[in-house]
Order: sequence, then C-alpha cells, then structure tokens
Amino acid sequence: MENSVDISVEFAGLRLSNPVFTASGTCGYAKELGVFIDMNRLGGFITKSITAEPRMGNATPRIVETDSGMLNAIGLANIGVERFVLERLGELAEMKAAVFVNIAGQTVEEYVKLAERLAGEGAIAGFELNISCPNVKQGGITFGTDPGQVREITSAVKAASGDKALMVKLTPSVTDISAIARAAVDGGADALSLVNTFTAMVIDIKTRRPILANRTGGLSGPAIKPIAVYMVNKVYSEVAKERKIPILGMGGIRNASDAIEFIIAGASAVAVGTGSFVQPGCTERIVDGIGRYCSENGIAHVGELVGSLAV
Amino acid sequence: MEERTSGCAGKGVFEAVVVSNRQIGDTFWKVVLEFSGEGAEAFGGFQPGQFVQLDASEAQLPPADKIPEELADAAQRDILLRRPFSFTDVTRHGNKVAAELLYCVVGPATLRMTTLKTRSKVSIVGPLGNGFSPPEGKKLVLLVFGGMGTAPIQHVGKALMTGEKKNDIQIVAFAGAKTRRGLPFEKLTDEISEQLGFSIREFARFGMESMIATDDGSAGYHGLVTDCFTEWLKDNKIDASSTIIYSCGPEPMLSAVAKIAKERGIACEVSMERRMACGMGLCQSCAIECRVEGSDETVYKMCCEDGPIFDAQEVVFGH
Repeated sequence: MENSVDISVEFAGLRLSNPVFTASGTCGYAKELGVFIDMNRLGGFITKSITAEPRMGNATPRIVETDSGMLNAIGLANIGVERFVLERLGELAEMKAAVFVNIAGQTVEEYVKLAERLAGEGAIAGFELNISCPNVKQGGITFGTDPGQVREITSAVKAASGDKALMVKLTPSVTDISAIARAAVDGGADALSLVNTFTAMVIDIKTRRPILANRTGGLSGPAIKPIAVYMVNKVYSEVAKERKIPILGMGGIRNASDAIEFIIAGASAVAVGTGSFVQPGCTERIVDGIGRYCSENGIAHVGELVGSLAV
Repeated sequence: MEERTSGCAGKGVFEAVVVSNRQIGDTFWKVVLEFSGEGAEAFGGFQPGQFVQLDASEAQLPPADKIPEELADAAQRDILLRRPFSFTDVTRHGNKVAAELLYCVVGPATLRMTTLKTRSKVSIVGPLGNGFSPPEGKKLVLLVFGGMGTAPIQHVGKALMTGEKKNDIQIVAFAGAKTRRGLPFEKLTDEISEQLGFSIREFARFGMESMIATDDGSAGYHGLVTDCFTEWLKDNKIDASSTIIYSCGPEPMLSAVAKIAKERGIACEVSMERRMACGMGLCQSCAIECRVEGSDETVYKMCCEDGPIFDAQEVVFGH
C-alpha cells in the first residue's frame, strides 16, 4: 500500500527509511523491545540516557499512572558509557535504524567527554543531548531552561562530536520554548527533539505524601499530546522552519493519526515512548499507518506533510 | 516443573479469549483466559511465578450501583498502562492453553476487569520474568503467602504435586490474611482448624497440607502468618538442607520470612512486586535493591526481567 509513496526522510543529514523513532528511555538499549518488534522497521532508535559513570537511578516507586498518562522518575539509571560500548554497541551496529545515543551529565565537561568517547564509534549516527531530564538533582533540566547555557553546552558538544549529528532535546517546562530552541540552533544543533516530559506530582491523599520516591516526576502519555503538538508547531514556525533544522516531535503518540498531527505541526520525524509500554508493536503500526495516510491523501512524499498546517 | 527460564524466548503480545469470569467470596475474582495458536505455544511453557501484563483499558466499567463507594472516585480515571498479574494455574487442553488469573478489585483497572464477558478478547503480554527454581534435591517445600500472594504460590504448589517428582516431595502451605475475607479461596470448610490440616481445598486436592492464619483471628490461627509459621518450625523437626521456602505477599511478610529462613539456614525464594509501567524491561521502573555477593554494595535489579522471583537473602527489603 505504501509502495506508491515515499516515507523516507532526510533528517539531520541522515537518510532514514521512515520518520518513526523510539524515544529515549522507553526501549532500553534496543534488545528489550527487539523481542516484540522488528527493530529494522524503525527509522531511528534512541538509547536510554548514557552517563560517564553507571547510575543506579532513583528509589522506588519510580512510576505512577495518571489520567491518560504516567509520571516517571527513573533517575537516568544506566550502565555507564564504558559498559555501554563494550556490551551494547555491537547489537546496535547491526540495526538498520539510525542510532542516536542520548547523553547526559552534570557538567559541560562531562557531556563533552561522553561525546568525545563515542564520536569515533561507527555504529552511532548521532547524539541526543539530554538537557531536559526533570528527575535528577544536578545537570539535566537545569541546563535546558537557560538559553545561555543551552547555547554553550550545545556548541561545546558539537565541537566534540566529530561527524555525528547532534540533536538537542528540549524541556517543555519553560516560559518560551522557542528561545531555548533558538539557543540550541545558535550553538550548532543539527536537529531538535521535543518535548521531554512535564515536571509533575501525584499525591496520595491518605498519607499526604507524593507517590513517587523522587517526589516529582515527568508526565508523559496521551495527556500531554495537545501541548506537545502546540510546542512543536511553535518551534517550527518561530525557529526551525527558517533555520532549516528538523524537529523530532514527541509527546503521547500512540498511533499513526497522532504521529501525522505532529508532522503537520512541523515535525520531520516522530518518536514513540510511553505508547510502546502499552502496545509494544505500535511503532511498526505507525510506520504502516503513515504510508497509508500518504497513499490515501495523494501525498507522494511524507516530506510534503511537514509543517503543512493550514492556517 | 521444567527448568527455570529467564526472559522466556516465547514472550509476545497475544489475544486471549475469556472463558469465565466470576467472583470468589467478597473481594476476589477469577478470570479464566484461553490461548490458542502462538499464544498457546507461548503459554504452554509458562512457569509458575512468571507473570503477564493485561490490558483492561477497553473493558467497560460496571454500572454505577455496582461500584463500591470507596472506588467511586478511582472509577472516573481512564487507564493507560497494562496491569501485572501472575496465574494460579495453567493447563493444556488439546491445542489450547487455559490460564486462571486471580484478581482483587482495588482500582479502575480491576474494576473494569469484572465486566469481562465470556468469549470477549483481552490483550496479554507474556510470559514475563522468571519463575520459581525447581526444588532440586529438596524433600520439603514450605509455602508461605498472604492475600493476593496466593496466586503464584498456588500455581507452584500444584505444578509440583502433579509433576514428575510429586512422590519425592512433601508440601506444607501457610496462608495468611488480615481477615477471613482476605483469603482468596473458593470454599473454606466451616471449621477452619488452627492445626495443620486440609482446610484449603485448592491445596488439599493435590495432597498439600495447609494452615490458615488471620491477623484478627476470624479464621484459623490468630496472628500473623509468619508467627504461625515460626511456631510450626519450632514444633516440627525439619532438615534445613533438604527444605525450600517459596513466599509471596506483602513486603513486610516477605522480609520476616527471609529472616526466618536465614536464621535456620533454609533456602528461600520470594516473589517481589513493584509499580511497573511496561513489565518488559523497557522502562526500568520496577527496581529492587539487591545485595552484591561478597560485598557491601547493592545494585538495583529489575523486578520484571531479573525477577519477580528473587533469592530471599539477596533482596534488601524495606519498601
């Protein structure tokens, strides 16, 4: 059905078979989701956040469900960059999807070191700079809310990234997301990914305590989708379109219709996170559904849809 | 029981058909799910102690007058995530596999599950996690469990008593609950003995002795199941080296069982529980703090992939 249409995309200098990614932190290091889907059908894959040293992550409870969404406060639990290279990169090298490694740190130097360490690895197509994690005390979101720091960290990591594409992941927990997006582009970002989760809290009214051990967590899932679509459109029309920087849109995508909304809003590609927890096969169905939509609507190439919002 | 498997290769997303769904006592329900085709192949290899993730988001809420008052607010909440359950029994019927799932109505998902109709379809992800280790070289298996913790324990007990080594082992079960209402059994004999007997039909059927303890004394032993268990251990001479304990229930209970096992040098496995988003190793929510052998360090293991069955001495309890 999608034979007649072209759903491949050009993204940050990479040619992807389709615009569907898995979002960081929602599919482990790939093998875990690979049990349920053919990972080669994805356009892109983003690892969970990798830090210089291994991190145990936060105490439990780390998640709580809310209306049409969930809060998580995992705390960047990961095996650290050296074990990641040794144990996980091999599997990723065999994947057809473009592999982005999400990197996180507490200082600019730490991000730079991570990029330097990984820049020579052939299995990696690019980095996603995590400056928007709401669940760690240092680093993460504290970088991502200040345009000056965003520009500084982006340009420092870009200089250390060699030929790898650099995508900067933005937090929605700011007054003007376009100002942050502009700073990332000024710093040399090749792509922007948005939105990360919204800082949120759920309280147990019996104990009057927050349910999450971390007190707050990041809200994801269908509950955030309309805000995420709005923010993608805002960044597209105020920054990305003019600067010719692709957006990876995400926030509550569960099916092809959701994905197409983001593309119309201005995303060149989309990422699925929480949706895979419920329906591990949803990314494959989204790839098929985008092709079907294009075919049914006489769209020869999915690129024609990007930012096609009628106003 | 076959070899314990970790990260079962046959796991996937399967559609199950509801065979029956009925209430057991005041608070518990039992739904029987049937798998065919690839689902039957996958669940034919389901090990006692493994679990599944059930999607109840499409099930209807019961009519307003059937919703308990304490759940009226929760009932208004949409559900997004699947819910983890273990099975109380898995049986093969020709080329189909039937699985019995025990649940307790506690929130919006389990409330919806009560309306699942015979012949309706449910999406199940599984089999997930590991199972209880086969009791290699053990002659006595002690089952200590509370409330909803009955599910995997009932399964492991039956699997052992109908398996190849049924003549080589003796099983004694200790069931605990706050009150008689908290015991998820079909029919309890009118007079529940404080003594070890055959008061729980689900266990007696397969030749397992059983004993009940309730915190309020409304059935069986008056007190905690762990106290009841400790008294039994005092009264009965057992050979620790040929004994194993399987336990499932609230974490303070598991912690107490682990302590008893350690003091007496008895092998012990516990079935752990955590809030989970995916159950498949994707989200890393269900961390369990575990000791590293030969060091003071601890690490987080994942309840869904490394467990839910853990060696009792490995787990750092306290959640």
